[in-house]
Amino acid sequence: MTEPILITGAGIVCSIGLNKEEVCTSLERRATGIEALKYLKTQHTEFPVGEVKLSNEQMCQCLGIPDGVPTTRTSLMGMLALKEALEESGLIGTDLGDVGFISGTTVGGMDKSEQYYIDFLENDSKNEYISTHDCGACSEMIADHFGSFSFITTPSTACSSAANSVILGANIIRNGLADIVVVGGSECITKFHLNGFNSLMILDQQPCRPFDASRAGLNLGEGAAYIVLEKASSARKRGCKVLAELSGYGNACDAFHQTASSPEGEGAYRAMKEALDMACKKPSDVNYINAHGTGTPNNDISESQAMIRLFGEDLPPVSSTKSFTGHTTSASGTIELAMCLIAMQKSFLPVNLNWESKQENVVEPVTEGDYRMPLDNILCNSFGFGGNDSSLLISKWTEENE
Amino acid sequence: MNNRIYITGTSQISIQEPLCEQWMDSPISYDVKYTRAIDPNFKEFVSPIEARRMGLLLKRAVATSYTVMKESGISQPDAIITGTGLGCIENTELFLNALCFEGENMLKPTYFMQSTHNTIGSLLAIRTKSHGYNVTYAHKGISFDSALYDAYLQMRLNKISNALVGSHDEMTPSYFKLLQKVGYVGGDMEGVCGEVSMAAMLENDSSKALCTLHSMRVLYRPSLQKLEKAVEQVLQEAGITMDDVDGVITGINGNRKNDEEYSRYTEELFPVTAKLRYKHLFGECYSSSSLAFYSAVQCLRHERIPLGMVYGNVQLKDRKPEYLLIFNQQEEKNFSIILLGKQI
Repeated sequence: MTEPILITGAGIVCSIGLNKEEVCTSLERRATGIEALKYLKTQHTEFPVGEVKLSNEQMCQCLGIPDGVPTTRTSLMGMLALKEALEESGLIGTDLGDVGFISGTTVGGMDKSEQYYIDFLENDSKNEYISTHDCGACSEMIADHFGSFSFITTPSTACSSAANSVILGANIIRNGLADIVVVGGSECITKFHLNGFNSLMILDQQPCRPFDASRAGLNLGEGAAYIVLEKASSARKRGCKVLAELSGYGNACDAFHQTASSPEGEGAYRAMKEALDMACKKPSDVNYINAHGTGTPNNDISESQAMIRLFGEDLPPVSSTKSFTGHTTSASGTIELAMCLIAMQKSFLPVNLNWESKQENVVEPVTEGDYRMPLDNILCNSFGFGGNDSSLLISKWTEENE
Repeated sequence: MNNRIYITGTSQISIQEPLCEQWMDSPISYDVKYTRAIDPNFKEFVSPIEARRMGLLLKRAVATSYTVMKESGISQPDAIITGTGLGCIENTELFLNALCFEGENMLKPTYFMQSTHNTIGSLLAIRTKSHGYNVTYAHKGISFDSALYDAYLQMRLNKISNALVGSHDEMTPSYFKLLQKVGYVGGDMEGVCGEVSMAAMLENDSSKALCTLHSMRVLYRPSLQKLEKAVEQVLQEAGITMDDVDGVITGINGNRKNDEEYSRYTEELFPVTAKLRYKHLFGECYSSSSLAFYSAVQCLRHERIPLGMVYGNVQLKDRKPEYLLIFNQQEEKNFSIILLGKQI
């Protein structure tokens, strides 16, 4: 039997909080972060968004980054979240030379590229941002702020990028090639993908309503979150507080369409099943599913079909926290996993905001009622364009597990 | 653990003749800084209707991937793992151009839909109806190495028994100009830029093996000691020493800074091993390290190393090559070490 992989730290930045404590408060108070656009400069002000409530300048100040250093919004949010994760696991300021870092993104430095693209082409005034455009550059900027990690790479599978970071990190540890790997993702809202999603007609001008019969699309969000994955023996040796065990994970491809999910949710079903099978858990062991639940008509029915098929009568409470944060795209996998860790620690169900009416064949999410309950196993779904579907399972870790 | 990993097919589209190994005997040489890949006839792989909706990079990825699937006889791989530094940059630029020059009103979804990095891997899954593991890595010059590493890890864990691993990057005229401004290609460099579509099939079944992937490591900003240790571990996993290695494939490309970095590392790490180059044939782009892998597979399979690949003072051993080590680095940040062997 292989050694368990534990979570010994987590950091999160999103529209409902700049750290886990703030996010927890917002989830418990049911306070959404989706509001009118404030920071992104676009003419599409009709779309509400879940922006991180800080300007780039304010983030630079928090991080002690001097003026004139080229940064991107994705990298700044990433640094804020990584800082919290490293602090919690006692890694901040230590030699990171044996610690891996995997950070998913798709947008990368596009916020600056779209701002300075004409300068790139026509003059040499903003050339420093040419090198910050690609996804890998973003991960390196985030990592380099804290020291020298042993390994860095960047999964880019659209909205499941961060979840796939978790899977790669776990596979590295299982191979005995690292004891600690910090995994996650970061993504800011850009005009590029706001317009892209708009051209696909999947943005809602109202606050998104995941799983509701009247749902009409998603709201974009942004943020970053990182999780410290650690081999159990290493966590024990370092005397870390353990947040949970990463007990299972699955990755499957819907193989249906570049920007739509199959009606039966084949990829989603396979990803969730693989995660449960890996952990040797039954559907009835799962206490809560944090759904991908974007609020698009297509995703929510497809995901519902997959959940109904896998869980049947044993379907646990389901909610989509995208009703708080908007769809944080490449970062959503670990932003939502961090929320699951909070929910497990505080024993409460994050609710699904804005839900009013049931639609046939679509699951009815948790909206109210007694939401304090122990959560031993939580499944967290993350699906991306191209049918890149991943599902992560965390389980409560107690001394008896040892 | 420690399952054997075999390569059962590789294929390339690059600035050399496509989908073949003509470069081993009669390579095309370039005295320009910018060129595009030589494309095969895509009709064999893509119907005309499909071709109209597909970007060039996607067509190339289909051509190389289907070639290795045919070669290996695997039509639905357990995993499709893709590297790409910039994704479908042509479509990204088209969308960005429309956004920046025409504004936010008239944007059409086509370019956006094909602009994400995982478009390539997804397309391959859709076409082959492969529901297995599917991930894309976009990390500069180690995008391919990351994809290969993922496959290596999962095959060692027995999670998958085969994987289609590829790496694909295009070099549009406008992106070449941008990369030239930051000193990555062109300018006063001697070498040519490249475009790459490379696909390889990895399997744990040896029956159709061309060669063996023994071991690999990917590192970030390692000290020389860490590199030495990584090389040692990689050799150890194959049960060999540096004396058994026929050549080290490096990424020298005519860029003085890059080549000095390589010579500094290779002199320390591999002083008495023959050095081999490949970027003088295939050019430079974020996916070019995949062609180091491809070249190594072909040299081992054909049991010879084209003399044009050899550089430096150390001569090749007088034998058919048995082990080749790939040493890849970019800007002294991202490194990879990959050991391939003839022994099956």
